[in-house]
Amino acid sequence: MSTINRKLPMILLLAFPTILRAQDLKLPPGVERLAAKAKETVEVNMDGPMLRWAAKFLSTEDPEEKKAAKLVANLKGIYVRSFEFSEEGAYSAPEVDVLRAQFHSPEWSRVVGVRSERQGDNVDIFFKLENEKMAGIVIISAEAKELTFVNIVGPLEVDQLADLGGEFGIPKLKTKPQSSKSVAKADKGEQK
Amino acid sequence: MTETNKDPNLLEDALRDALHRKDAPEGFTASVLARIAQQYSTTREVKRTSWLSIVSAPLVRWAAFATVSICLVIGGVHYRNVQREREGEAAKQQLMLALRIAGNKLQLAKEKVNEINTSRPERHPQKRSPRSRS
Repeated sequence: MSTINRKLPMILLLAFPTILRAQDLKLPPGVERLAAKAKETVEVNMDGPMLRWAAKFLSTEDPEEKKAAKLVANLKGIYVRSFEFSEEGAYSAPEVDVLRAQFHSPEWSRVVGVRSERQGDNVDIFFKLENEKMAGIVIISAEAKELTFVNIVGPLEVDQLADLGGEFGIPKLKTKPQSSKSVAKADKGEQK
Repeated sequence: MTETNKDPNLLEDALRDALHRKDAPEGFTASVLARIAQQYSTTREVKRTSWLSIVSAPLVRWAAFATVSICLVIGGVHYRNVQREREGEAAKQQLMLALRIAGNKLQLAKEKVNEINTSRPERHPQKRSPRSRS
């Protein structure tokens, strides 16, 4: 069992290119395995027709839903997996590296990469560009007790999306004083 | 002219005889009650027969069938709409949740980047070397 666990990241890493070509970048199967360990799991799979159908139920009077409707108008899919664990160390760094590795291709640009050793908050944001236009975004957020993978396929306004993060009852994040031990890297525009 | 008309006493006697109280014959009450009961049941039977005849009329039968069918169709469509509405609402909630999570993580990244930018010592122009200015 432990041998399988040790080899799993490598197996997944080798399997990713095939999976990606077949599914136009959806979630790797290894992510599903974490659901067994998670205290809470959020799973959202919405393809284009589903998004358009769901958008029909968005209110035109509610400002948040109005923004959301505008945002998803041209999207082709939204795929989210979020795992919340009761203890730290439920997932290993190689497992997250496997997730990140699939975006080390010319069509993907890693625009933000944050590493915080002290707080353990690591966030990676990858943009997919087609003809110099945004064609998709992937967010991998690996926190001490939480692992989140977001894949949004299609053109979208990133600022609008970030705005929505502070709504729906969840307050926008406030600036905290920087810890001296935090090691972070922000490499905007970095091409991988 | 009859004899009673001729003699008033005879008329009186005849009247007295006619109006003389007589006991009902034996079984009279039972026969009356039996007749009443028979009449009542006959009336009900006639009424029942007429009601059934209305229901069994082809036109009424078809009308009833059509009404039930229409009610079933309307009920089915309504149920489907309600189901659709529920599914749509659930899909909307999923969509909002996905956007909320994505937006939240974007903000987290933004926040981390801001932290880094604010913590980095600003480069003062006066400290730069003359070569770097040119």
